[in-house]
Amino acid sequence: MADPTRALTARHVGGVYGRSLLAQIRAITEYPADFWVMASAGVMWNVLQFAFLTVLFAAVPDVAGWRYHEMLMLSGLLTVAAGSTALLCDGIWSTGTYVLKGEIDYRITRPAPVVVQVATSHIGMQGFGETAFGLVMVVYGWIGAGLGLAAVPAGLLGVACAVVIECALITMLCAVTFWIKGNNSIFAFVMLDLQHNAMTLPLALFPAAVKIVTMFVLPVAFVNFVPVAVLTGHLGPWWLIGTPLAAVASVLAALGVYRLGLRSYDSSGH
Amino acid sequence: MASVDLALATISFKRKIAYKTTWLFSVLFGGWSLLAGLAVWSTLIGDGELGGYDWQAMKAYLIIGFLTSTLAWAGSDWEMANRILDGLVAIDLTKPVDFQRARAGEYIGGMVASLPAAALGTAAAVLAFRPAGPDSALAAVLTAVSVLFIFPLAFGINYLSVLNCFVTQRYLGIQWARDTMLAFFSGMMVPLALMPVWLQGVAWALPFVHFTTTPASIYLGRVDTAGALGLLAAQAAWSVGLWVVGRLIWSQLVKKVTVHGG
Repeated sequence: MADPTRALTARHVGGVYGRSLLAQIRAITEYPADFWVMASAGVMWNVLQFAFLTVLFAAVPDVAGWRYHEMLMLSGLLTVAAGSTALLCDGIWSTGTYVLKGEIDYRITRPAPVVVQVATSHIGMQGFGETAFGLVMVVYGWIGAGLGLAAVPAGLLGVACAVVIECALITMLCAVTFWIKGNNSIFAFVMLDLQHNAMTLPLALFPAAVKIVTMFVLPVAFVNFVPVAVLTGHLGPWWLIGTPLAAVASVLAALGVYRLGLRSYDSSGH
Repeated sequence: MASVDLALATISFKRKIAYKTTWLFSVLFGGWSLLAGLAVWSTLIGDGELGGYDWQAMKAYLIIGFLTSTLAWAGSDWEMANRILDGLVAIDLTKPVDFQRARAGEYIGGMVASLPAAALGTAAAVLAFRPAGPDSALAAVLTAVSVLFIFPLAFGINYLSVLNCFVTQRYLGIQWARDTMLAFFSGMMVPLALMPVWLQGVAWALPFVHFTTTPASIYLGRVDTAGALGLLAAQAAWSVGLWVVGRLIWSQLVKKVTVHGG
């Protein structure tokens, strides 16, 4: 029998999250110029990544066995995941600033999880452009790579898990600012930098240590590399099982690290 | 340089290194993109060459790109952006210091804080990967001058991007867009020599190209001395041009500042 207290808590948390995010969306509709500037900025990375791959593949036929359309899917799925974090939990990037200024204080006193309040304190409008164009890249690559409709369920699972893993890992690394203080969440930035530099390319290019770290330590490979590699036949289908497992592990790790961070939080000026 | 500029630069420098652990990790992590680039291009080039770059030349190209991008991305752009987003810019308007000049001082101070990362990383990369040497002693000197131009160029581009915050609520997306444009059009993601002619034309019409392609071309002798001097002149012209454009845009956007709705 389900525990009614837990169900109510989950509904409450979901309600707070939804209403906070809705409030952010209503707020951004008040600033149409802001929306268009940020959405255009979000498209920029995709357009230039598209250009990069097109230029590269004009000079080489494949990169470590990966062809043009397969690598488009790799970049596209990463962008969908990264763009979704801007839409779903962009406020988490402000954790470091809130810790420095003591602005976690009053969030602790409110009847909702701090991580939810912080995550929904902003919405990154670049996420609209990133996610939309990322999906275009995935679909274009999908068609070009000759993938059929039969692979759609696996593709949807890959997209859903990619979003969850990305949100969770960024939350976890932003929580590091509870201990290593600073306005900028340097660890989360480094992870995104790593993803944009390395995870848009086949893992076979990199030393074994990189493969181990990106699959089993900080599972960024499960955001885009593993799902696309499975879909395109570069990895066996059983690898897809690892994607939801990585999603669950990432969420648990993120919540755990954030909770530990809150325990060590001592407001500002102490 | 007036004492106030130096003071602002010093404050910015100290602010950057105040959070020592964060600063230390940014130093340690700075070389990641270089290692990724080396892994990719070593596979692609192998024993041959691409776009006129053999493996030795490509290593030098990537290390120069690492040096210039480490400097370019290390300024105090977030501090500038937050002043506008938080409304502190209204207080700046009451101060007897020119806003753009003050931000330039702070930005350069922040860049100076990244010098240890850039110098240590570059030295380690040179020792570890043994890239091609400079084409001549003169090329080495002119490359150093070209790298110095990164300071005003980086400020100019960052200042213009930060001014977007007058019409936006967040800076993160703008930062990603600017950094991506810089990575692509500078030639850091893929050398300009591999791009189609029309795209090379677009890249050469923008200031980003002077962050990687210009110093690397001078260093590797892909341009002669006259060509190198011409590129340095272009860097100087962009430095001045970006400063002037920044001032013009500021004069229009500052009219959007409202204090408590007034």
